[in-house]
Amino acid sequence: MRGVRDGPNVTARPGLDAESTLWVEQLRPGHPRRDQALARLREVLLRVAIHELSRRRSQLGSVAGPEFEDLAQQAADDALLAILAKLDDFQGLSRFTTWAYKFVIFEVSGKVARHAWRRQPPSADELRLDRRPDLLAARPGDRLEQREQLEALADAIGALSERQREVFVAIALNDVPIDVLAIALGSNRNAIYKNLFDARRRLRASLAEAGHPVAREDVPAS
Amino acid sequence: MTDPRHLDDLLRALDGDAGCTAGEDILDAYVDLELAGKDAAREFPGTAIHLQTCPGCQADHDGLLEAARRFGDAAPD
Repeated sequence: MRGVRDGPNVTARPGLDAESTLWVEQLRPGHPRRDQALARLREVLLRVAIHELSRRRSQLGSVAGPEFEDLAQQAADDALLAILAKLDDFQGLSRFTTWAYKFVIFEVSGKVARHAWRRQPPSADELRLDRRPDLLAARPGDRLEQREQLEALADAIGALSERQREVFVAIALNDVPIDVLAIALGSNRNAIYKNLFDARRRLRASLAEAGHPVAREDVPAS
Repeated sequence: MTDPRHLDDLLRALDGDAGCTAGEDILDAYVDLELAGKDAAREFPGTAIHLQTCPGCQADHDGLLEAARRFGDAAPD
């Protein structure tokens, strides 16, 4: 995974559509309609923020009313600042609105994670393998080979580096949201994902070495 | 847990995964290709793979896809 870049396989870049062109032109300093364009963009960013916060409501606990509205306003404001700061970076690989909405989604994502972390930070138990989670417990109907595979997996988890183990246990076994864990560990999503990726690779290899390989499903790219 | 498919999901780390940062840069282009009915995974294979296994980027992708679908037509007044 390290160092992999992703980019279009084709070099042709679509020209800007008419609406995207209007947005970019009118948002530039000095344009006579800039104030109106800023107000209009702020309005749609707020709509997107409210929608996205509603979509992630399960992570917001009891947040409602003015507090919910305040979160949406903050996300829209922060996104607008980021958009204006990066306006020259917009390359037209998407519609302007999709590009702009990406900033709101990222703002909402970060604010929801920070809120969830303050409301319910991951417990120490969710990062440690002291107590074997139910997920790793053998069931009465399991065949001997399956029970041995679980034992091998538990041993392999124990042999991970401390960071890999706490990331794998928290995310894969205890469903701690990746962004909440990143905040709790003073890290960021990309670094935590790398820890998770490396842990999964190492666990899979350890199981294979122990004679209990995991059948690899053929997953087509969606 | 001992269902082989479940274990494979739990330990999934696919070759060609572009990671979170690469996807952040092109997520808008990826989503617009999807909305246009085009093959976003062919254009951005590393991100398509990444979105299968990163819950944070999956959530961002799903949110952006929905926002672009619902509010994508907004234009300046």
